[in-house]
Amino acid sequence: MTQAAAVREQARPTIGPDAVIESGAGDPAWLKARRDEAWGVYEATPLPSTRSEEWRYTDVARLLPLDGLVPAAGGAMAGAPLPDGLRRAMAQDRESAGRIVDVDGRVVSVELDEELAAQGVVLSSLREAARAGVAEVEGLLATEAVPASDGKFAALNAALWSDGVFLHVPRGVQVDRTVRLSRWVSRAGTATFTRILIVAEEMSRLSFVDEILSPDFDSVALASTAVELFSRGGAQVQYVSLQRMGEGGFHLANQRTLAERDSTLDTLNVALGASVGRVDLNARLLGPGANSDMLGLYFGDAGQHFDFNTSQDHVAPNAHSDLLYKGALDGAARGVFRGIIRVHDGAQGTDAYQTNRNLILSDEAVATSLPNLEIEADDVRCSHGATVGQLDAEALFYLMSRGLRREQAERLVVLGFLGEVLSRLPLGGVAEKVAQAIEAKLRHV
Amino acid sequence: MPSNEVVQGLGLDDYKFGFVTDSEPVFKTRPGLDAEVVRQISARKDEPEWMLKRRLKALRIYDAKPMPQWGGDLSELEETLSRTYFYSKPQEQMERSWDDVPENIKQTFERLGIPEAERKILAGVGAQYDSEMVYHSLKEEWESKGVIFDSIEDGLKNHPELFRRHFGTVIPAADNKFAALNSAVWSGGSFVYIPPGVQLETPLQAYFRVNQERLGQFERTLIIAGEGSRAHYIEGCTAPVYSTDSFHSGVIEIVVNRDARFRYTTIQNWSNNMYNLVTQRALVHQGANMEWLDGNLGSKLTMKYPSCYLMGEGAHGEILSIAYAGDGQHQDTGGKVIHVAPRTTSSIVSKSISKGTGRSSYRGLCKVYDGAAHARSNVECDALLINETSRTDTFPYIEIDEKSATVGHEATVSKVGDEQLFYLMSRGMDEAEAMALIVRGFIEPIAKELPLEYAVELNRLIELEMEGSVG
Repeated sequence: MTQAAAVREQARPTIGPDAVIESGAGDPAWLKARRDEAWGVYEATPLPSTRSEEWRYTDVARLLPLDGLVPAAGGAMAGAPLPDGLRRAMAQDRESAGRIVDVDGRVVSVELDEELAAQGVVLSSLREAARAGVAEVEGLLATEAVPASDGKFAALNAALWSDGVFLHVPRGVQVDRTVRLSRWVSRAGTATFTRILIVAEEMSRLSFVDEILSPDFDSVALASTAVELFSRGGAQVQYVSLQRMGEGGFHLANQRTLAERDSTLDTLNVALGASVGRVDLNARLLGPGANSDMLGLYFGDAGQHFDFNTSQDHVAPNAHSDLLYKGALDGAARGVFRGIIRVHDGAQGTDAYQTNRNLILSDEAVATSLPNLEIEADDVRCSHGATVGQLDAEALFYLMSRGLRREQAERLVVLGFLGEVLSRLPLGGVAEKVAQAIEAKLRHV
Repeated sequence: MPSNEVVQGLGLDDYKFGFVTDSEPVFKTRPGLDAEVVRQISARKDEPEWMLKRRLKALRIYDAKPMPQWGGDLSELEETLSRTYFYSKPQEQMERSWDDVPENIKQTFERLGIPEAERKILAGVGAQYDSEMVYHSLKEEWESKGVIFDSIEDGLKNHPELFRRHFGTVIPAADNKFAALNSAVWSGGSFVYIPPGVQLETPLQAYFRVNQERLGQFERTLIIAGEGSRAHYIEGCTAPVYSTDSFHSGVIEIVVNRDARFRYTTIQNWSNNMYNLVTQRALVHQGANMEWLDGNLGSKLTMKYPSCYLMGEGAHGEILSIAYAGDGQHQDTGGKVIHVAPRTTSSIVSKSISKGTGRSSYRGLCKVYDGAAHARSNVECDALLINETSRTDTFPYIEIDEKSATVGHEATVSKVGDEQLFYLMSRGMDEAEAMALIVRGFIEPIAKELPLEYAVELNRLIELEMEGSVG
């Protein structure tokens, strides 16, 4: 960080009303009003405590010193080289249809395949799209998907977001290669608020990978992300979140997917880094024939704490959702999975499944699993399952009988266990990248 | 939730235990609850000072604890409790022979088939009518072997040391709001002691009948199974159908000592105007085995999660739960298994059926503490939905702090398949028969664990409730 940037950072207000004003500087009036309203909700909403069912296992008051954090708003010098860690991660990626790079909460570059741009695909900094008066942004930003009224952290993000992604794919356009967002958080003591708004119009197709990285910190750096995904009739959308922050990172994601008639909206949440990771994912199946595959993979060690709070809302009849979250926990890591399938009145013909499997690799690791069902229609097929167990002794024995050392055999079994999730969403290079990251973590074990 | 009139219109006439007996209590407290009412109950029972103190302390805990905000709808409960009679004494003393029980009360139990069952299959019978045990008897054979089967009041009087050593240790008053309430106003229930090595071949039974309108029944049962002993205790409950709500809140404490085996069966068939909020817990010591068989068919709202605390190495806990939620009913039931010691094992199997506007919820906990090495637990839940308006939920909690533990949970929800129905009807059954057969098949794994008489009873109830459910 340059001297000048450091001075700028020091002068910035911590989370509070002044920060809302500063975040909204240069915004159109509607957006300023939306920020103010969101801040009102934030102030009126108490911090979730472990008494509330959804936060029972994550003591946010203890883990997150919200008050002292300074909202990040970029600061990287124009034309300055990207941080090494970010460049290395980007170099691993395969070919992309487009890419946005975001450093400390501000988009620094946007690239999009020219042919796609000619077909009407829009990939833009969210801040610029909002300021340019894009109608979809005004209509859909923090309204239908992740509004401030969702809760304390959704409100905070809606009040303080500094930038993010707007991706719009017009009717019938197929984006065959992946669109990527590569994010970097560089400073402890900051809070980065990012939003992702993706609209896939009827019969279109896209896949999006959102990767976030940071170095290790000796104190907290918050990265809050609001993800709003719309798939219109017959569209196909895949969204992947790849969380590889360093120590001290506190990753907080509010994600909602709205799948209309006959559309597919699949998600994959991968949590490997950060000290604390909390994902709230709500999938809404809004039209008949809608489908959501919801995948998750987490591998924690040392004192890492992951908490996934998922819900599958079957509002329309004859929709399908299938959730599989798998985690391995080593060291003193804790994994929490809380999922609920809600089959609303009238959602006949629902097929909804939910599975959470955990591997405990050490004496201090803890796994908590709460797979819930709430069903108000009778013509449904629903099931859920949860398991917590240790490495399969027979599989280990087999591999060791073939000459592998115990550690090698263990690594292989863990990779195989988690690999099932990756094989369900074969997306340009993600599986390889995640497998490499897991192997790197396993080598430390 | 539909009014009682609506519920009755939906086939509750089939509730064959809904009759009222004309009987006057010899004493009852005024409606509502305060320290004075608690003192009156204690005085009537001629209790030692320490028990009165405990009751009053429990009342303070009850007053301080908020109403639970989870589970069933308790919004009208406070209103219900304000006009509930917390204690009603039906006769002057408990009898050891049916002949001495007042005629009208005896008739009640005869209509329920209790004396006949006692002759045929039971080792001992206790019968509670409103707030007191009216009858308690144990076959001589078992009495001579040192088995104690008494009303809880007589347990306190006749075995003060054994009683005081265990009472409130499994479920302290502060455990939850309704355990506190029970600890303040408890009356009736059984005191059971099985000496080490004694194996009871036939079950003990306690039958709970609420006869009066607007009565709260608060039975308290304390069971101590000595080392290597073996016994089976059955509890049944019914009540008349009234237009106002009644309340039942029992506390059952069980200590299963080393290598003992104990089974506790409940066939809860309260009328549909009853709140049923019960705390049941067993401490299971080394090598011992505890089984809860929990059948919940009646009541307006039941919240009940029998639990096994597996305290000693190799202890085993088993919970088989069946819930049937008919129109207007909510069965919020399940089970808890807490693994504290190494090599403990447990299993929860839950089956629920929701019909009409009924709602059944499975709520359960599997907790494995650090150090409970090689603990194993399996939880299975199946829910069957009969109508479009029926509802089911599953809320399992799984908390594992131990690396070598193996825990699994599975749940499925399904509808009675058209194909299954069509097949049976093509074989000449009518729709209602076919439906009843499918439902019976669904609950069979649990029904077969019940003593024969109860299994037959359960099947009959399901059949009655099924009538007119198809269409």
